Amino acid sequence: MRTTTPPRSSAWRVVGRLPELVVIWVPLLLCASQVVVFTFWTTWVSFTPSTLLPAGGWVGLRNYRAVLASRNWDIAFHNLLLFGSGFVLFAIAVGLLLAVLLDQRIRGENVLRTIFLYPMAVSFVVTGTVWSWLLNPGIGVQKLVQGLGWSNFRFDWLVQPKMAIYTIVIAAVWQASGFAMALFTAGLRSVEPDLIKAAQIDGAGPWRTYLRVILPTLWPIVIAVLVILLQFAIKAFDLVRALTDGGPGISTQLPTLVVYDFMFQRGLLGRGAAAAVLMLLTLLAVLAPYAVWKRVQKRRAARA
Amino acid sequence: MRRIGRRAVLAAPAALLAASRAARAQAVKPRLTLITQWSTGSDGAAITALGKKFEERGGIWQHSPVPGFTTDMMNKLRAQIMAGDPPACSQLKGPDIAAWSKIAPTVNLDAVVTAAGYEKVVAPDLTKIHKPFGHWLAMPLQVYRTNTMFYSKRAMDRAKATKVPTNWAEFNELAEKMKVAGIASPFANGGLRFDDGMKFETSLAGINPAVYRAAVMELDEKALHSKEVRDALVQVRKLANWQDPNVATQHYSVFLPRFISGDMGILLSGGWAQGVMLNAGYKLDDFILAPGPTENGKPVFILNADAFIFWQRKEADLQAGQMLMADLVMNPAIQTMYSQITGSIPVRTDADLTGAGWSDGQREAAKTLREAVGVNQVVLSLGHNMAQPNDMTAAMLDAIGEYVHDRTMTPDQGVDRLNEAIANAR
Repeated sequence: MRTTTPPRSSAWRVVGRLPELVVIWVPLLLCASQVVVFTFWTTWVSFTPSTLLPAGGWVGLRNYRAVLASRNWDIAFHNLLLFGSGFVLFAIAVGLLLAVLLDQRIRGENVLRTIFLYPMAVSFVVTGTVWSWLLNPGIGVQKLVQGLGWSNFRFDWLVQPKMAIYTIVIAAVWQASGFAMALFTAGLRSVEPDLIKAAQIDGAGPWRTYLRVILPTLWPIVIAVLVILLQFAIKAFDLVRALTDGGPGISTQLPTLVVYDFMFQRGLLGRGAAAAVLMLLTLLAVLAPYAVWKRVQKRRAARA
Repeated sequence: MRRIGRRAVLAAPAALLAASRAARAQAVKPRLTLITQWSTGSDGAAITALGKKFEERGGIWQHSPVPGFTTDMMNKLRAQIMAGDPPACSQLKGPDIAAWSKIAPTVNLDAVVTAAGYEKVVAPDLTKIHKPFGHWLAMPLQVYRTNTMFYSKRAMDRAKATKVPTNWAEFNELAEKMKVAGIASPFANGGLRFDDGMKFETSLAGINPAVYRAAVMELDEKALHSKEVRDALVQVRKLANWQDPNVATQHYSVFLPRFISGDMGILLSGGWAQGVMLNAGYKLDDFILAPGPTENGKPVFILNADAFIFWQRKEADLQAGQMLMADLVMNPAIQTMYSQITGSIPVRTDADLTGAGWSDGQREAAKTLREAVGVNQVVLSLGHNMAQPNDMTAAMLDAIGEYVHDRTMTPDQGVDRLNEAIANAR
């Protein structure tokens, strides 16, 4: 078949597909190659003795050992566990609550949904700066409540080394729960009306209908939101930088800040790269099980 | 005719081009591409004034400020060096001058420094930093003393204090007195990394500058475990407790109004705070500037200096600009102009500070520098990246910052944490 088509028409076909090639494939390949090339390059740098500039040479796992032994990484990883779990759980809980409340066919739903979703449109730096004012005990919430008469009121987490990490949870939940809400709302709306009707006919109240019928169908969305928020948490940088800048002291360091600190403040590119690779591995530890789960589900669906 | 005409037509533009090229080479206009961290306030005003002088001398001034800390500016510098297009001149300071001069070729300034007879008038401790490997690689611009205390006039009045403390015992007494007089936070100092570093360096060098030199600058094991380092951390804890806890993550400039109004008593800062306060419209008699407390009665000067480094460029105009800039920075009149705006003191030890534009504080600081050189009590600032390269500085400041903000840590734990951090960074 192919041999019979004249070469000219095949050339024409290529020309006809040119927009598609240029518009889709060129940017896609560029982006993909950037990600892949720089990932490999960073990995390579992490095995070199690079300091101020990337340098050749091989030092094996020395950078990794140094990073893992450093107190900053220790604190940062511990904080990531606290922040990651706190942020993800609260953002999902608040998002789900808002979604369920919005689902009650209330008036002004669109306006409310927009308001709840708005924080997502604000950049993390703005969120961090605004919350650093709100949470500062000298000018923010504490001062306000004290001014209203509760002079013993204390809310000074921002300046307490042991509590400051939770202020980041607060700001991040504020920012991301609207996003979770939007996804959950979509999920709630896509539940088969027949299912709900059946539950009602069986005599289930609204509470039981939600708990037993609607929410179980939301599981796939919960997992999706969980994964998206987790990778948010792992790569959180600008929020912390604007809110506490890792302080007081080094109490709110996160892995991203450690990478930045090693690379750009201490001038230790090799160690910074090693920390970055460790972060990538953490991300993979979250994303890989999700990918596997997705694939298993797909296979199951195909079989069914 | 025709042939000649054609030749003339071809030759004329070539001749013109050659002529203009020759003219340009003869009268090349000096041009300087410069990156610094100074963009606003008194720092911005000073570098802009320097640029005006550069232009008055026929140069083209191309300044690209990168606001923030010095390290932020250095990221841009690194990117430009990696791209093979470094600025003709950049700000750089401390041991980084030696470290960075290894990663890209810099202009050797030996000839200009010798021609100007400049080395004679620069403090030896300063020369060491700017003349690594035996060559002048950087040009110091201005000097700051970091162990400088600013006493709020109104807070002093409230505490009925007249005498500025000279040693730590007097200092602590005054702070307590202010507290009794109703000033809840007698000590004012920001909550950033370098602030915590300054609390420590001012305490330790005040207690014993020789131990400071051995412990912080030479990382001597014995000195790092000495009683003096522990005592310094005890003093740091006192200072931290006298601070408003709410400033734990703030820059010192945020609470300057509170300091001036007497709501805070004593500000620990370099001379740049004078420039910032004057630039903000406050007056010299709103505060008293005095050296930080010392224990041995002799002047101690913790030195912080800003400098320019010149990166090698092939362009003739940039090379001319580099030489013009080096010449300007060594010039006594320029140093006077610059320091009067920023609140620093001139690099030249022979500078005349009797003029009207100087404050008593600046005169005192310049005199203290000369005297401290004489008794070998000039040391380099840790908090401002002068004593150690960036990686070691950062490690030490982490430990100190942790100690400052975690009130449950004892001084002994602080000593241990500091030594751990140094051991890890070595």
